[in-house]
Amino acid sequence: MAHLKTPLQGYLGYRGREGQTAFLLHRISGIGTALFLTIHILDTALVYFYPGLYEEAIGIYRTTLFGIAELFLVFLVIYHGINGLRIAGFDLFVPQRWNIPTARGSFRLTLILTLLLWLPAAAVMLYNLLHHNFGLFGG
Amino acid sequence: MRLTLKIFRYDPNTSAGPHYDRFQVEADPNDRVLDLLEAVRGDQDDTLSFRRSCAHGVCGSDAMRINGLNALACKVLVKDLNSDTIQIEPLLGLRVEKDLIVDMEPFFAHYRSILPYLINDEPLPEDGKERLQSEAERERFDDTTKCILCAACTTSCPSFWADGQTIGPAAIVNAHRFIFDSRDRGRLKRLKILAGQAGVWRCRTAFNCTEACPRDIHITRAIAEVKQEILKHS
Repeated sequence: MAHLKTPLQGYLGYRGREGQTAFLLHRISGIGTALFLTIHILDTALVYFYPGLYEEAIGIYRTTLFGIAELFLVFLVIYHGINGLRIAGFDLFVPQRWNIPTARGSFRLTLILTLLLWLPAAAVMLYNLLHHNFGLFGG
Repeated sequence: MRLTLKIFRYDPNTSAGPHYDRFQVEADPNDRVLDLLEAVRGDQDDTLSFRRSCAHGVCGSDAMRINGLNALACKVLVKDLNSDTIQIEPLLGLRVEKDLIVDMEPFFAHYRSILPYLINDEPLPEDGKERLQSEAERERFDDTTKCILCAACTTSCPSFWADGQTIGPAAIVNAHRFIFDSRDRGRLKRLKILAGQAGVWRCRTAFNCTEACPRDIHITRAIAEVKQEILKHS
């Protein structure tokens, strides 16, 4: 636990700016995506080993709670991808442009792009959720 | 104006664990945080411990966390904090020895690990004097010569917080200073060290280091340049 104390103190207490927010969001989105993929691979494996359980797993995916969680998951996946490209782009192609204004500005641009890509996907997912789980839109 | 200083306290010689003490002080907006600490130590509690030397942003002794951000106490003005309460804590990631004093040895060990000195065993020029370089060659590493080893950058780095093994921004900045020095011949040795597990690839571009640097060094840029140099030589 001692090893966790300092990083947690830093993550939660250090008042870094956009760069720290970008780092934390990247970390959270990376861990979240990896966790989801692990669960997804395991439940897909059930098709072969326990087909009955697989149906139950898919049933859980169709619940409202999972539907809402998937909305956030898509946001995190898109953010993780775009932010990764942002960092790789600066590091590999224009390292001399790494300065405070470009770092702050590029993070804001990353968030805007993430939102622009996420909103259409979120609208479709939300429509399906309301359609199937709440009987709206003729469901 | 009247201010409250909330100061981290820890004395290994007493049974009291780490805690915060509050002090009321009269301050001028143009006072520096170091002035306030001196006022507390002079008038209210002479056991308060902190490091300081030049008090003018040159020696780098008084780096600490002020309202949650690393800075030199001698360079932060009260009026720039826009707060009636100022929280002052030791640097994060280094063992606290007493109050605001941390054990800087791990930081200096990382600094020493990158061979922070000119390496050149070639014979001296024919006139036996200086190894000359052009203005452009000198300019190449000018930014990273400004480091004063205050540790504000390294102790704001999330990777350093994680385990303390990360070599940290300050060591990389000082390696950059020699890697891009046309007179130096130790470039490959340093690149090998920095390509290791605790080296430049631990940088997450969180920019805390660049934001905290009291000398305005473009630290993340320097780290990225070293990364590119490693890729060129790999």
